Amino acid sequence: MRVGCVWVLHFPVAVERRNRVALNRCSVLIGEATEQRGAVLDCSTEAEAQGVRVGMPLRQALGLCPSAYFLLPDLPRYGDAFDRILHSLEAVSPLVEPAALGCAFIGLDGLNGHYRDEMALGNGLAQAVRHASGLTPSVGLAEGKFTARVAATVSAPGEVCLVPEGQERRFLAPIDVCLLSCSRDTLRHLELFGLRTMGDLASLPLGAAQAQFGSEGRRIWELAQGIDREPLHPLKREKSIREHLAFYAPLISREALVAAGRELLTCLLGQPAMGGRAARRMTLRALLSDGRCWERAIVFREATADREQVLCVLKSAIETASLTAPIEELSIELSGFAGETGKQQGFFWGNGRQRRQVAESIRQLKARYGRSAVLQVVEVEPWSRIPERRHALIDYDL
Amino acid sequence: MVAHPGEATRPYRLRPLNQPRPIRVEADESGEPQAVVLGRERLAVAAVQDCWRIDDEWWRERSVSRLYYLLLLEDGQVVTVYQDLIGLRWARQAY
Repeated sequence: MRVGCVWVLHFPVAVERRNRVALNRCSVLIGEATEQRGAVLDCSTEAEAQGVRVGMPLRQALGLCPSAYFLLPDLPRYGDAFDRILHSLEAVSPLVEPAALGCAFIGLDGLNGHYRDEMALGNGLAQAVRHASGLTPSVGLAEGKFTARVAATVSAPGEVCLVPEGQERRFLAPIDVCLLSCSRDTLRHLELFGLRTMGDLASLPLGAAQAQFGSEGRRIWELAQGIDREPLHPLKREKSIREHLAFYAPLISREALVAAGRELLTCLLGQPAMGGRAARRMTLRALLSDGRCWERAIVFREATADREQVLCVLKSAIETASLTAPIEELSIELSGFAGETGKQQGFFWGNGRQRRQVAESIRQLKARYGRSAVLQVVEVEPWSRIPERRHALIDYDL
Repeated sequence: MVAHPGEATRPYRLRPLNQPRPIRVEADESGEPQAVVLGRERLAVAAVQDCWRIDDEWWRERSVSRLYYLLLLEDGQVVTVYQDLIGLRWARQAY
């Protein structure tokens, strides 16, 4: 299976730098700061050079790199940027698997006829990412996901690394074992045994690797040989419809937001794409005036196309949202389309007129047949362990 | 106007609900159901999902002693059956 891998190094930092050019000249740290602890979500290569690592406690990272520009993560924005990249790659190949934020695998089998050669195909993938996001990826093309990912990782941004079929082992041989996807314990043991490159590991007999590392030993030995049987898991896109509303002046009032939400819902629920179906999920996104995004996904208990019902949920979400700045743009996305669940109306729940009509009908039936034709379920011994003792039917009289 | 039927109105009557319905069940030597006959169809039991026993009303002349099974049948439907441990008859009943 021929696979392409596109990889944008330090994707969150790259997205932030794309939006703020001033960040290009300084070290950047992105992390969620809490009172007691926080971890580094991503950092720039400059910060990495000073010893900062992803996952490291923020306090330690700031100690190592005190001049770094610190940013809070804007996950909706990163997700949105990555989603645009995936959409763009899907125009090249129908088989696209998101691996991590900023990294995706692309199934390449059958695409050769569309390009002059494989290098042109790789350049096409890089071009698709650049076009969708303005970011420059590294691209690796190889047999299997692992080798393709390693090829992308060792390439500089904008480069395409092509590993010809059958050359995987030779390509991987000089590469450090730290790029293997295995546990930290295994990596530590590999280092203790002096196995620093994939070539060192591949030169061992399979039995020795298995004896030392168990089932993981077989897996990493095969990977070092360039054998990767893991299939591609292409993204399955769910149909959704989305509408957004940009405000002339940023909104502060929640009432105004609810009114905007009502407008958007009216527009969405009237779209032909709804096709008489109901939605199970609603995603609210707001672009704040400080450049950050707020996002909230809500799953309804049952699929609905009732505007008032959705609006009620929307109101509650807006009222409880912690918005840190005025809102410039609001968007609503409906997805998870399904048939609307039928709702059983209560026979005796109607308004006064309906109740009177039912009462009159029951009275007439009773007069005609000598008994009520309408029965009601009543609890008799609801605590009983014998099921038939719990409930019974009784003549109903209004 | 509806004509009066001439029948005396009767007091409220309680009509039982969820009465057990007799059913044919094939059980193995240990008494565990292996197949259930629903209508004309014989359906093998794919799994016994639950089993519980009730003993009640032992102070009455007709005491209740039942062993209930929640069965997953081969066609995917789930049914609750019980064996009356006194009369050794099988019945179907929602619990």
